[in-house]
Amino acid sequence: MKIANISKILLMGIGNTVTVFAVTLFFSIPLGLLLSFMSMSKIKVIKAPVRVFVFIMRGTPLMLQLFFVCFGLPFLPYVGQYLVMDRFVAACVTFALNYAAYFCEIFRGGLLSVDAGQYEAAKVLGLTKWHVRTKIVIPQMIKIVLPAVSNESITLVKDTALITTIGVTETLHYAKSLVNSTASVLPYGVAAAFYLGMTFVLTKLFAYLERKYAF
Amino acid sequence: MNIIHAVGVKKDFGALEVLKGVDLSVSQGEVVVIIGPSGSGKSTLLRCLIELERIDEGSIYVGDRALVENGVYAKEKDLREIRQRMGMVFQHFNLFPHMTVWKNLILAPLSVLKMDKKEAEDRAFEVLRQVGLLDKRDELPKNLSGGQKQRVAIARALMMRPDILLFDEPTSALDPELTGEVLTVMQDLARNDSTMVIVTHEMEFAKNVADRVIFMNEGVIALEGTPKEIFENSNHSRLLSFLARKDTSAEAMPST
Ligand SMILES: Nc1ncnc2c1ncn2[C@@H]1O[C@H](COP(=O)(O)OP(=O)(O)O)[C@@H](O)[C@H]1O
Ligand SMILES: [Mg+2]
Repeated sequence: MKIANISKILLMGIGNTVTVFAVTLFFSIPLGLLLSFMSMSKIKVIKAPVRVFVFIMRGTPLMLQLFFVCFGLPFLPYVGQYLVMDRFVAACVTFALNYAAYFCEIFRGGLLSVDAGQYEAAKVLGLTKWHVRTKIVIPQMIKIVLPAVSNESITLVKDTALITTIGVTETLHYAKSLVNSTASVLPYGVAAAFYLGMTFVLTKLFAYLERKYAF
Repeated sequence: MNIIHAVGVKKDFGALEVLKGVDLSVSQGEVVVIIGPSGSGKSTLLRCLIELERIDEGSIYVGDRALVENGVYAKEKDLREIRQRMGMVFQHFNLFPHMTVWKNLILAPLSVLKMDKKEAEDRAFEVLRQVGLLDKRDELPKNLSGGQKQRVAIARALMMRPDILLFDEPTSALDPELTGEVLTVMQDLARNDSTMVIVTHEMEFAKNVADRVIFMNEGVIALEGTPKEIFENSNHSRLLSFLARKDTSAEAMPST
């Protein structure tokens, strides 16, 4: 089988891989930011649930979380019947929540390392809390967290392969069946090339962002 | 007319009493220089005046309004307005590193004072010329020397047209050869009738520029007077030993 033909078949899975990747980043970054601010709140009822959420999401396997959301939730008493999700949607929801927990911690670290003098200068100038956050703190936080966010998103590229375990067909799924049906190792090589390509694009993108945030 | 009037200000950090009943009035156009040993409460006093720290007892009036009266603070909205009458310049400049000099200057006038863009830019032009840095308007702070950063910080404070400027050791973080340019800017401000409270270890500057010198020691104002009274005619033993130590160590004291 030619590489072109292999690629054509893999392409059917790449759509799902890229979509899960994009949807996860799209939702987990803002959610993670919100959670990071909540987890730094002085109000306990805001802070505590976030800490528990982060502890659970980081402390259990992503695969378990996938199974739980996809196959477990529908068995919950009373509410279970409303929690039956399309598997693809379940995958996106799980990934977004899981990555939000990691981003929460990354952003929290970034926020903590913004110099206290920045808040004081902003306060003395009369900026509102909202402006302090959006105009002073978040831009400086972004610079600090970029390397870690880059790292996470590259991890995410590869984590997307996990969704095959709940029966969503993605790149690796097709690669595996092609290897079986053609008795050739080539499809794995093509799949690897695809993941490397995605990682390469991300690496370039973040290198660009780091240059842009070099202040 | 007093710009600032503070009475019986007490402040502690846990068990540590840092301000033990300080009275301070600053009138329009006056330049007050605060000197004193490290840890005597100079920074804390300045920070309390502009509500970066909260006092435990006493009152602080700014113009005709009470920032805090008998330990009770004004409402948040009023606090914001009252703070706005004051500007502060920090030892470590605290410029916004991700913004050009120009953006550092116009940010607060645009978003706080709701100045229109034209007006803010005219003002930025004016204050940058005043501190001699018009050619640096598009630089990021990291590309400036310490002295230039501090002059931008002063310009940024001036943008808001404060009634009074507070300086907390504005030259202590600078290389000795860069202190002059900052002190010159401050001297110009003094000459133009700006009201200022300056914490500094620059004794020559205090002698030349201050209308009044305050010597703080262990959380109280131990002595105050004209530069002549403080530097030439005093026989206050704590002050004399403080000044003697200054003379032998050319460098500014480490500060907190
Ligand atoms: N935020 C704080 N928490 C606890 N102690 C503080 C704090 N700020 C200052 N202090 C203490 O208060 C005392 C006075 O400090 P400061 O006002 O900075 O003195 P100065 O500016 O005269 O050197 C020092 O002993 C200092 O360690
Ligand atoms: Mg100090």
